[in-house]
Amino acid sequence: MVVNFRIAPGVAASVAALALAAAAPSVAETPASSGAPAIEGSSAPAAGAGAVSLPPTPTAWYADPGVGAAAPVSPDMLAKGTEDPAGWLHYGGGYRNFRYSPVSSLTPASVPHLHAAWSAPTGTTGQFEGSPIVYGGVMYLTTSYDRLFALDAKTGRFLWRYDVQLPDDLRLCCGPANRGVAIAGDHVFMATLDAHLIAFDRRTGRVAWNTTIANYKDGYSVTSAPLVVGGLVYTGVAGGEFGAPGFVDAYDIVTGKLAWRINTVPTDAADPAAKTWAGDSWKSGGSPAWTTGAYDAGTDTLFWTVGNPSPDWNGDKRAGDNLYSDSVLALDPHTGRMKWHFQFTPHDMWDYDGNTQLFLVDAMVGGKPVKAIAQPDRNGFFYLLDRSNGHFIRATQYVEQLTWAKGVDAQGRPIVDPTAAPQENPTARVCPSNLGGMNGSWSGAYDPKQGLVFAPSIEACQEYVKGIAVYVKGVPFMGGMPNTVDADAGKAYGLLSAIDVNTGQVKWRYRDPRPMMSGVVATAGGVLFTSTMEGEAIAVDQATGKRLWSFRMGGSGRGQPIVYQIDGKPYVAVPSGGWSSIDTLAGAGSMQPEGGHLFVFSLDP
Amino acid sequence: MSKIDWAPLAGVAAMASVGMAVGLALGGGARAQDGSDGAQAYMNSPPDVARGRAIFVGTCGAYCHKMTETRGGDAPFLFGCDLPLAKTDQMMFHTITHGVAGTRMVAFGGAIPDDDIWRIVAYLKTNSQCKPGG
Repeated sequence: MVVNFRIAPGVAASVAALALAAAAPSVAETPASSGAPAIEGSSAPAAGAGAVSLPPTPTAWYADPGVGAAAPVSPDMLAKGTEDPAGWLHYGGGYRNFRYSPVSSLTPASVPHLHAAWSAPTGTTGQFEGSPIVYGGVMYLTTSYDRLFALDAKTGRFLWRYDVQLPDDLRLCCGPANRGVAIAGDHVFMATLDAHLIAFDRRTGRVAWNTTIANYKDGYSVTSAPLVVGGLVYTGVAGGEFGAPGFVDAYDIVTGKLAWRINTVPTDAADPAAKTWAGDSWKSGGSPAWTTGAYDAGTDTLFWTVGNPSPDWNGDKRAGDNLYSDSVLALDPHTGRMKWHFQFTPHDMWDYDGNTQLFLVDAMVGGKPVKAIAQPDRNGFFYLLDRSNGHFIRATQYVEQLTWAKGVDAQGRPIVDPTAAPQENPTARVCPSNLGGMNGSWSGAYDPKQGLVFAPSIEACQEYVKGIAVYVKGVPFMGGMPNTVDADAGKAYGLLSAIDVNTGQVKWRYRDPRPMMSGVVATAGGVLFTSTMEGEAIAVDQATGKRLWSFRMGGSGRGQPIVYQIDGKPYVAVPSGGWSSIDTLAGAGSMQPEGGHLFVFSLDP
Repeated sequence: MSKIDWAPLAGVAAMASVGMAVGLALGGGARAQDGSDGAQAYMNSPPDVARGRAIFVGTCGAYCHKMTETRGGDAPFLFGCDLPLAKTDQMMFHTITHGVAGTRMVAFGGAIPDDDIWRIVAYLKTNSQCKPGG
């Protein structure tokens, strides 16, 4: 690698001028030794550097010349997803979100022989929720606080690195998470906590474009991995705890220009959906789109999910179903036109974001094949919908404790227990917890051979308290809170449930003493990988739920494991590193320190 | 507890942050430097304390400040003794008004009216589990 150490013009001046100079790296600390990649500060012009409103200077170590395979990532490669075991090209593995690897060498017999191959620190605290992307022998890994690393996927050597320097007044409800990049052509795409979407040259790490999605000061952030289909890159926003009106955006992958935006709440009173909100409560209706969607090539449809209406726990001022909160939207990927929607939790008062993972499965219903969507929702029900038209097929309870509803009707509408509504001084114990069930901040997996969805979940109940909600842009707007009674009493626990998509029934459960809040990867070898809040990477038999192997990583498991194969050797990458605030809310708090670390395991031939 | 008035707060957006005047002069007596009686005016008034609680519940308690003491979390437990940024009523008011840079604590000044910030302070103080000398 050519050594090319330099500091961009204007960096020193802007560092001195910025109020946040203390957060910027010292030039003296930058690695200038032989073999180090190029380092560069922001290429943004120094003009106006005296204004404190300038974004802080990013810090980056570039690779010159570039790294990784020369062939651009083609639409055909993206369509094949994990069919080529050498790569992991999407957050969900493939467009159908199975998170399923064809690697067959990881079997119940072989996984006891797994050993650590390499590891990499993130240098950041906060939950490490990333799902690595692997292409051309390079792993693209994001960390909390929006660092992006390119690593040699075989050895773990750092190849290039970009640290977004974030403002110090971010609007984060739930921590500094970043769940990963999308890849297409010669670029990787990362969305940020200050609501930017940045395209990087995947070989060098240099920024191709940087687009502002929204003003973070209005309550917006982005934590999810983007998704690329064709020439567009899709992302949605978080902000449901700030009343920030949600939306899904599509950007041109070459120019970074906005192609379309679809709002998840009405933007004017003439919108028919406005009738589902009392008065003009839709103006502060939140309904964020904070997780990654799915794509169905068969019908050329983009599916995206929507989170809670705002304020979360006080529905008094927003009587009605509050569309399109807690829904799945079927969208024309080229225009954003909505084809249909299905709402999981109308008039949500519990923070049951409908943002958990969508699995585009082929199910058998009444003896007939159905192109379906399966989703273990945060509200505790496992849904099956016809993905061609959004028709409800069934919902079954997949958590052990579910009290907020007595079931669902023939249209899939929950039969709500009125005593479960938040109260000023609540006494009712309501389940699941506001975090789930399953939650959109971690993934599940699907084994198409067995027809099983693997869903990690929290088992905990809460008392929901209602308070005053007043909307002011950019300020928390929640209207209540959960009393975490089970979590406080040490009664919260975790399940990994294997759910049969053809029946909706749970085939097996793996139990853990603490809530399970980590993603899953399934494999053709019949073994899945996930991690525990105790800080273990674990392997579980996909047929039985039996635990087969573990390795103590140390930090709580909050990330999304993946599997890939290089030179015939399988690799299992598992993030380690929790965030005490949400972990405690879930009942999984511990003395384990924060700090992210990626562990990669392998098998010798 | 008395009945809480759920009516929206009038003129919130236009509310000037009079509390800014408190500035950095901290640790004063019962009387706030903006001329009001600060939290003291509300501490013996159950309806005002109840309103302080309702705003705290609706704004501060969910993903951040918990009602029960637990280890962990980036937001301090506000009913305990260890409150370096809120040792006095006025420090508490100042922290709520201006936020804490580099943390998730945003500035509520101008969003929540000063009177209501004082009611939150009154609620926190009257429910403190920190015993003098304890």
